Amino acid sequence: MTGVYESPKTRINAAMLAQYIGRPVCFVGRLEKVHPSGKALTLSDGEGKSASVELNDPLDEELSGIVEVIGMVSNKGTIMAVSYAQYREDKISFDLELYNEGLKVLHDFPQHYPFEVSLSG
Amino acid sequence: LKCSFYYIFMHFMVYALRPSNFRSYRLSSDRSRAQQIVPCTVSQLMSAVQAEDVFKVGEVEIAQVTIVGVIRNTDKSTINIQYKVDDMTAAPMDVKQWIDTEDMGVDNSVIPPGSYVKVSGNLRSFQNNRSLVAFSVRVLEDMNEVTSHMLEVVNAHMQQSKPQSMMGGGAGTSMMPTAHASMSSTGSYSGASMMLVNGLSANQNQVLSLIKSCHEPQGISMQDLKQKLSSMSVTVIRQIVDFLSNEGHIFSTIDEDHFRSTDNEA
Repeated sequence: MTGVYESPKTRINAAMLAQYIGRPVCFVGRLEKVHPSGKALTLSDGEGKSASVELNDPLDEELSGIVEVIGMVSNKGTIMAVSYAQYREDKISFDLELYNEGLKVLHDFPQHYPFEVSLSG
Repeated sequence: LKCSFYYIFMHFMVYALRPSNFRSYRLSSDRSRAQQIVPCTVSQLMSAVQAEDVFKVGEVEIAQVTIVGVIRNTDKSTINIQYKVDDMTAAPMDVKQWIDTEDMGVDNSVIPPGSYVKVSGNLRSFQNNRSLVAFSVRVLEDMNEVTSHMLEVVNAHMQQSKPQSMMGGGAGTSMMPTAHASMSSTGSYSGASMMLVNGLSANQNQVLSLIKSCHEPQGISMQDLKQKLSSMSVTVIRQIVDFLSNEGHIFSTIDEDHFRSTDNEA
């Protein structure tokens, strides 16, 4: 799934999952649950809504707090992750609600924050 | 205790990201923008139109830029460090940082992949390949800078695409009936929460129009507004009225429940 890294990965929240089926996305949320198998996570976004994330391989590290997942949205609306990373909060905590507001601004102004490259002359 | 500059700045940005509030931040000419450092996305840098030595993103001329993203790849030689930085808007971008072998004060250690960084540098194009020559690659200690960069990018590029006549006093702004240029070029995106016309949303314009249409000396009352705007709750109407008053579009008259437009000559 290395193709996902080379594509634009639109920043979305849980409410937008349905509109991004089959597309690469970047989802930032608070880790709520890890499935006993270690291959699935539940993250909550800045509006408190949940997203399910499926991993290729079981988690091999302790994850907590804010996690950023990159992957494709499946037909079921789950995120098939190609990578995940915890946002550092060792010095300053991350304001997920504010991030959610910022994300909405990006979607309100796609012409000023394009998740695509337009080829110009 | 969130006392970082960026936290306060961002709260201001999110709720004030309306063209009318940033008049004072506008530069007087397009040329001077090229000497400023412009927050951008990798997608904007890759899409920028190049005319000789000048790069343009829409109306915005860019030279020195900042991007915020995560390092995917590193490659160090004796004279430079090369990174690939991914900000989610496109494929990771080539960033080159020259190693200053003489300046012992500069940290020349390679930042590991997976780190979120803010890169400041100049956009270069060589043989159809775009890259950034960085004068600063700084690891983010405060991840809220991801959010602030997102907002700064939108703000920086939004200002330059406003029609020129939007500059000036409040009276001029409120008399513009047409949507500004960047809105019409993308067509409508219905359901967008911020459909801006002359700096005001559809709801705000609706309330303002009603207030303007009343020519009574004491203005229109909250009662009348409630009656005429049956689809809006009192809370929403009150919020809008407070906003319009803060922006200088209306003022209250005999009491807090009567309003007149500042544009009315009568």
